[in-house]
Amino acid sequence: MLENSSTIQKRSLVMSKSTSRWRQLWAALGQGFLFSVTSLSTLTVFFIFYFIAKDAFPFFKLEGFKEFFTSTHWYPSGHPAEFGAMSIFFGTGLVTLGAVVVAVPLGVAAAVCLSDVLPFNVRQIVKPVIEILAAIPSVAYGFFALVVFAPLLQNNGGAVLSIGAWLILAPILALLVVVLSDLIADRCPDAARKVVRWGCGLALGAAALTGMILLGNHLRGIEIISGANALNVSIILGIMALPTVVSVSEDALQACGRELREGSYALGATRAETIVKTVLPASVSGILAAVILGVMRAIGETMVVWMASGNAARIPEPWFNMLQPVRTLTATIAGDMGEADHVTGSARFHVLFAMAFCLLTFSFVMNLASEAIVRRSRKKLGK
Amino acid sequence: MRLETRKLLDRAFSGTGVIAIGVMALALVVILAPIIGKGTGAFVFRSTIEHRKVMFDQWGRGTPERVEADKAPAAAARQPVYDMLAAFAAELDEMPRADRRPYKTPVRDLEKALEELFGPAPGQRTPVLIRQQYGATRWDRTKIKLGELLFTEQWDYSNPDALGVLVKTPRSEQFKETSLEPLFDYVDENIEAIMRPRLTFYWQFLFDTSKDSHIFGGIGPEVLGTLYLTLGAMIFAIPMGVIAAIYLCEYAREGRVVSFLRICISTLAGVPSIVFGLFGLAFFLNTIHISDSKSVLAGSLTLSLLILPTVIRASEEAILAVPKAYKEAALSLGAGRWHTVLTVILPAALPGILTGVVISMGRAAGETAPIIFTAAVSVGRPLLPMQTLSQPTPALPWNIYNLCTEHEAVDEIRHVQYGMVFTLVALVLLLNVFAIVMRARISKKLRG
Repeated sequence: MLENSSTIQKRSLVMSKSTSRWRQLWAALGQGFLFSVTSLSTLTVFFIFYFIAKDAFPFFKLEGFKEFFTSTHWYPSGHPAEFGAMSIFFGTGLVTLGAVVVAVPLGVAAAVCLSDVLPFNVRQIVKPVIEILAAIPSVAYGFFALVVFAPLLQNNGGAVLSIGAWLILAPILALLVVVLSDLIADRCPDAARKVVRWGCGLALGAAALTGMILLGNHLRGIEIISGANALNVSIILGIMALPTVVSVSEDALQACGRELREGSYALGATRAETIVKTVLPASVSGILAAVILGVMRAIGETMVVWMASGNAARIPEPWFNMLQPVRTLTATIAGDMGEADHVTGSARFHVLFAMAFCLLTFSFVMNLASEAIVRRSRKKLGK
Repeated sequence: MRLETRKLLDRAFSGTGVIAIGVMALALVVILAPIIGKGTGAFVFRSTIEHRKVMFDQWGRGTPERVEADKAPAAAARQPVYDMLAAFAAELDEMPRADRRPYKTPVRDLEKALEELFGPAPGQRTPVLIRQQYGATRWDRTKIKLGELLFTEQWDYSNPDALGVLVKTPRSEQFKETSLEPLFDYVDENIEAIMRPRLTFYWQFLFDTSKDSHIFGGIGPEVLGTLYLTLGAMIFAIPMGVIAAIYLCEYAREGRVVSFLRICISTLAGVPSIVFGLFGLAFFLNTIHISDSKSVLAGSLTLSLLILPTVIRASEEAILAVPKAYKEAALSLGAGRWHTVLTVILPAALPGILTGVVISMGRAAGETAPIIFTAAVSVGRPLLPMQTLSQPTPALPWNIYNLCTEHEAVDEIRHVQYGMVFTLVALVLLLNVFAIVMRARISKKLRG
């Protein structure tokens, strides 16, 4: 009896040839199935390119390239219709630039703080804040921009602008004054140093203060005609892009190891010097990737710009005037499709696909660039 | 540079970082505060007698006796107003025609303002639109309408260099020394007796359909539509995403094909959401005709493509986080690769995968751009599950946009807009908080 059971066990342990072949076949089939599902889901991106391009090319065939890219006359419903999207491209660029100006300094500073300054416990509290900021739906940001922020800008625009300027510039100027006066005093003979430092500090401080007051008064006098403008959208888009910038650049800062930092500290550098002169140069490519991803987030955003940018298809006067309404590619697609939908096949329908194609191409190129940058930086850091 | 300056710079540097983080937290608070503060106002607010009338007439809430008992004192308090109007009408009839004329427009305006506050006068024919059948339903709206009744507003453009200035004049001036003059003081003093405000918790806001395009009622169809779209997206995205992640982590050998697949995934992640919407329109609706019109199905498919990269990445991370020892132990016990993946790796990675899935659920619930052309309509009924295959639905994100930009009475329904934003944000935040807590527990478990 005992012998019998052991032979049975032996038989099931050593597989016969046919079983193992079946098994191999099944494994290959399973792997094939996994591979096909994976490639199906990844190849969607080609579907997207194909179907956007398929509907975009009729537009270029009908209307050509020149008007679309160079003219600023956007009257798709006119007779004859005009499809000059230059001002829309410009609006997209302006708003994105504004968002970058808001998001990058803030985001990089926050990332540095997260990776090098804050203790672990505090970091655990801050991370969810960033995640929640990233999780809030874009339409909620848009609602805030339209219903809360735009009326605020419209009714108290001057005050908001001047307070903002004070808050941003005053600490920077104060720091600049102290450092500059110190640098000047360093070049003086020892005896006069203290006097020169104080003198310089007071003089520069007074100059900075007058400058600030003048600027503040100038800004206070500004009246904003419409709260739905490029500035509003830029600030909100900047906040939306912040989480991306922070988390990607924090990864980049973390990636460049303790050795670099410790070497720098050993040479007597302060933390600020270590970060500015050693860590940031070492992780500059990762931060660049973060900026690119932030730009992509801002460019591809639809709801905020559709709701709060004013949707005026013209280039502001002068071109950097953020207080005027603009119009972006995404908002145009979202807003005009409703009217163009029932005229499927017209140039008015296809021009929106042409815009989407431009967006798609741009984000594809940017994405490849950021991937390449990250890969190169990893290689450089030897990881 | 002096040592002190270097120290100062160092401190200033750290300070900048802390300020940056503070600004971020502040931005979060500033954005969420009005949404939460005013959003709860859609649920908990002081309702007037008109609100109770709407609830009773349109939804049959409350007993007839109690509503009548509620209505009677309000009607009694309103009666003097209508008496004064009738008296003034009689007074006008006796006036010579020339004296009568200047009162014609003011009286009409006054009656209109009263109607907006109280609803139609007793004895008047019931208006066709539901919104005209009732007065102000909320106490905050009542106060605004009262202001419009007591004061007339004019824009003063006399200074050509500045923007127009709003000038308010008491309406009673138009009726000086007539029998209508005391009306304004009467309404102002007795407004509480007339409207009978009472604190109400209108939780049915989440489930009610809306009457007369969101003037009354709740956001039920929108909430249901958002749930359909989100769950639909998850049904398609989870299997695809998890299978792709298993393949990439466990089966694929690093090489050309895999790095190509990875580039595809990251490109997919970078595609702007509006482009997904156009793709959904061009592919699902115009090419393969998945349904005749926009439909929940098409919207879900589009959304699932949008969140696919997120699901793949999260699942990959979760699978990679499973300790190597688990896998090696399973393999050494003689389990095959399939067996190992199904019985050891997936169960261990499940909480991590779930975290990623929950986060992408939040993303799918909040996305607007992909569903504009594929699934969303502004007004609609709540759908049955079978109807989702062929019919469009109202959805929270789209209706937030629609109500605050395209609705004909944007200011009247601010509370509905805030209520919608609040519901959406609360949904997304709950999902995210759940994910954050879960992840914290996982990392604790993995650390041992």
